[in-house]
Amino acid sequence: MTFQVFMQHLANGISLGSLYALIAIGYTMVYGILRLINFAHGDIFMIATYVAFYGVMLLGMQLWWIAFPAAIIFTYFFGRLVERAAYRPLRNSPRISVLISAIGVSFLIENLAIVIFGGRPKAFPIPPIFNKIIQIGDVSIVSITFFIPAITLALLVGLVYFINQTKTGMAMRAVSKDYEAARLMAIDVDKIISLTFGIGSILAAVGGIMWGLKFPQLVPLMGLMPGLKCFIAAVVGGIGDIRGAVLGGFILGLGEIMLVAFLPALTGYRDAFAFVLLIVILLIKPTGLMGQKLTEKV
Amino acid sequence: MRILKADNITMKFGGLVAVSQFYMELNKGEIVGLIGPNGAGKTTAFNMITGVYKPAEGRIFFQDEDKEVDITEYRPDEITKLGIARTFQNIRLFKELSVLDNVLIANHLRLKSDVFSSILRLPNYVKEEKEMYEKSIHLLEDVGLQDVMHEKSSSLPYGKQRRLEIARALATNPKVLLLDEPAAGMNPKESLELMDFVGDIRDRFQLTIFMIEHHMQVVMGICERIFVLDHGVTIAHGTPSEIQNNEKVIEAYLGVD
Amino acid sequence: MKKGRLELNIIAMALFIGLLFLFRITFDSYKMKILNLCGIYIILGLSLNLINGFTGLFSLGHAGFMAVGAYTAGLLTMSPAMKEMNFFMKPIVPFLAEVEWPFFPALLMAGVISALMGFLIGSPVLKLKDDYLAIATLGFSEIIRVIFTNTQSLTNGALGLKGLPIYTNIWWSWGAAIFTILFMVFLIKGSYGKALKAIREDEIAAEAMGINLFKHKVMSFTMGAFFAGIGGALLGNLLGTIDPNMFRFVLTFNILLIVVLGGIGSITGTVISAVVVTVAMEALRVLDETINFGFVTIQGIPGMRMVIFSLLLMIVILFYQQGLMGTKEFTWDWFFNGKGFRKTLKKEVK
Repeated sequence: MTFQVFMQHLANGISLGSLYALIAIGYTMVYGILRLINFAHGDIFMIATYVAFYGVMLLGMQLWWIAFPAAIIFTYFFGRLVERAAYRPLRNSPRISVLISAIGVSFLIENLAIVIFGGRPKAFPIPPIFNKIIQIGDVSIVSITFFIPAITLALLVGLVYFINQTKTGMAMRAVSKDYEAARLMAIDVDKIISLTFGIGSILAAVGGIMWGLKFPQLVPLMGLMPGLKCFIAAVVGGIGDIRGAVLGGFILGLGEIMLVAFLPALTGYRDAFAFVLLIVILLIKPTGLMGQKLTEKV
Repeated sequence: MRILKADNITMKFGGLVAVSQFYMELNKGEIVGLIGPNGAGKTTAFNMITGVYKPAEGRIFFQDEDKEVDITEYRPDEITKLGIARTFQNIRLFKELSVLDNVLIANHLRLKSDVFSSILRLPNYVKEEKEMYEKSIHLLEDVGLQDVMHEKSSSLPYGKQRRLEIARALATNPKVLLLDEPAAGMNPKESLELMDFVGDIRDRFQLTIFMIEHHMQVVMGICERIFVLDHGVTIAHGTPSEIQNNEKVIEAYLGVD
Repeated sequence: MKKGRLELNIIAMALFIGLLFLFRITFDSYKMKILNLCGIYIILGLSLNLINGFTGLFSLGHAGFMAVGAYTAGLLTMSPAMKEMNFFMKPIVPFLAEVEWPFFPALLMAGVISALMGFLIGSPVLKLKDDYLAIATLGFSEIIRVIFTNTQSLTNGALGLKGLPIYTNIWWSWGAAIFTILFMVFLIKGSYGKALKAIREDEIAAEAMGINLFKHKVMSFTMGAFFAGIGGALLGNLLGTIDPNMFRFVLTFNILLIVVLGGIGSITGTVISAVVVTVAMEALRVLDETINFGFVTIQGIPGMRMVIFSLLLMIVILFYQQGLMGTKEFTWDWFFNGKGFRKTLKKEVK
């Protein structure tokens, strides 16, 4: 493998890792607060991509800078709607019921997408700015590859500021520590949970649009695999911890790309890589790389 | 004769030392109390003895017939099988199941037949099952729950739930019984009844009892010896009258100026 | 069980077998296929309910076990000539090339291999709980699918297997279904079944009562995998064609739907719901397809059928969190006296 090829793989791995990280944060935030896998997260990501697609179709390619943010805002409300409909009614139910509800709503969104958007793949429109070939020495890389980590980093800084420095962020942390206690402190727990879903959905939407720019083929089930993988990324890093989600995302993204690059014979097993990693981590360190041990109170 | 010994066991959660160097011996047939203010580490000590937590330091020994077994590394189910049963502070019955089923389940650990004999209802299983039912019903009669044995366990009044939890622990055929605040939430009259009940089962089932309790009347009335924990440290140990007059204990409970 | 109920059960069983004979004469091949599917889904639903409903382990790995069962039975029952036709990209591994087993041993082997997989997978993952267990079992089922797609010389890869002998008929599918029902009833009513329910209710208390959690969980999981393998094998030899993509997560979802609708922890509920869901799945197929009545054409909407089923699942789980029947069972007492469903626990009185 030449240096140029390696650099290309590395750039690819970093941009894929950033995408995974962005979506994994959504899982980790919801899990941190509700102790629940939001199975529908991958589908929220899919919806964002489709809405962005239809936005560009409607407004024209030049107005992508309106269509994309509009899709992100739409997804924010969509995420909150999902929470309201499928999770809030089961707030005090057994975990199995909530998990089933999560799986149910995920299937519902996927099948509604098949009905509304049709099952045939659509080509995501790529504004020229994201599609430029940039030459660095002998290495040629598409501009989106740089945009992805940059945007992810910017969002991450914003998110960390929001969680650590604002009052709402503080309420969020309080709810994730102990939501009964938070309720007693006059925090509107339902509102905070809903907001968490909203913010997670914004990140999923940005991730979804960038995913579309990188892999421009839309199908209603496109959220399924990335969704599962990003959940795995969150678990590998240590669920409930934003740094963990980022770490997990990069490990997964880079790992996948490098696996295929160095061992082409295993290309067919690419999708299994994440699951094998998950099981290995769960067996060795069930709380993930950055997670802390929780002891059940007896 | 000694039946259980905790040899300087210590438990840490993160940086917090919940129980420090707890030393205790139980002799056969005794009723021993464990008291202390909230958060003193009493339940943690129980959890170490029953295998729910692994002590960071120290060992636990159990006298099994004629040999002493180190049970520090044993799982909770292995410890129960050996003969140490327990109840829980915040009642942990199998809520959706009947009173009878709760007791039957506690018999399961002594079942010798394998799962296929059970599914095929082979004679060895049928015989064992019949014995289990008879034993359980007998036990429920003993503790006065025979009338409600087909009720869902969570539908029982609080006092009966406590009683059922003790019956369920007895069904495992224990030699040592650990009771975690059996009188919690009871009124004085019920507490006194419970005291009689505990003394009664000790004699009838030849048990050694180790109990955490807050009702001083109960503890002082029934326990032969008492350990006092405060902030994880054993601050006193002795007979009820010794404990009542111990300055450290009074300080721990009332606080010092 | 009370005396007299046994006779009733036997009469009901005889009537049912008579009914099967009647169906066999009157039904066309399409209806027969659905009838077969009903039996198979009873097996699959019960096996998932054993793990999820009775033991309280949230497993999503059923499609993987079904794949193992279907491929095992398929490869064992296909004729050597058929195998040669299928494996034109890469020849089949020698030890399977000349094998051609009758259906019964192949079916058993499918269950055994699947149970073995369940045991091997269960041993590490059953230390996990709830969501983690769900995602780990889902992961294993995906790994199995990916492996089957890539092991050309063993499974023929993505091309799948065509021309499996159609051995499955209503005697096989319903025979196996009845066997599974009896197995579950006797298991659940016995001491081991009670131990499993105790684990579902409260793991810590169960362990304090001397129940070896790990042993019982692995046992339940392995048994569930065994029946999932049998179900998969029956399905494969009913359809005649299998490929790795059949065994996606959607398949597990369908079985989960049956369990939830019927009642998480109800045997009779699962049986009823397996039949209802299977028939409804077929009946509602019209929603997806365009139908031409000659004078008018109704435009089908692909995906509509699954929208309805997902909605149904959502409604049931939001309003009846234990499923429609919960842990209740249909009993003769209810049938005759109209006393309302009785709880399983009340029946176990001697």
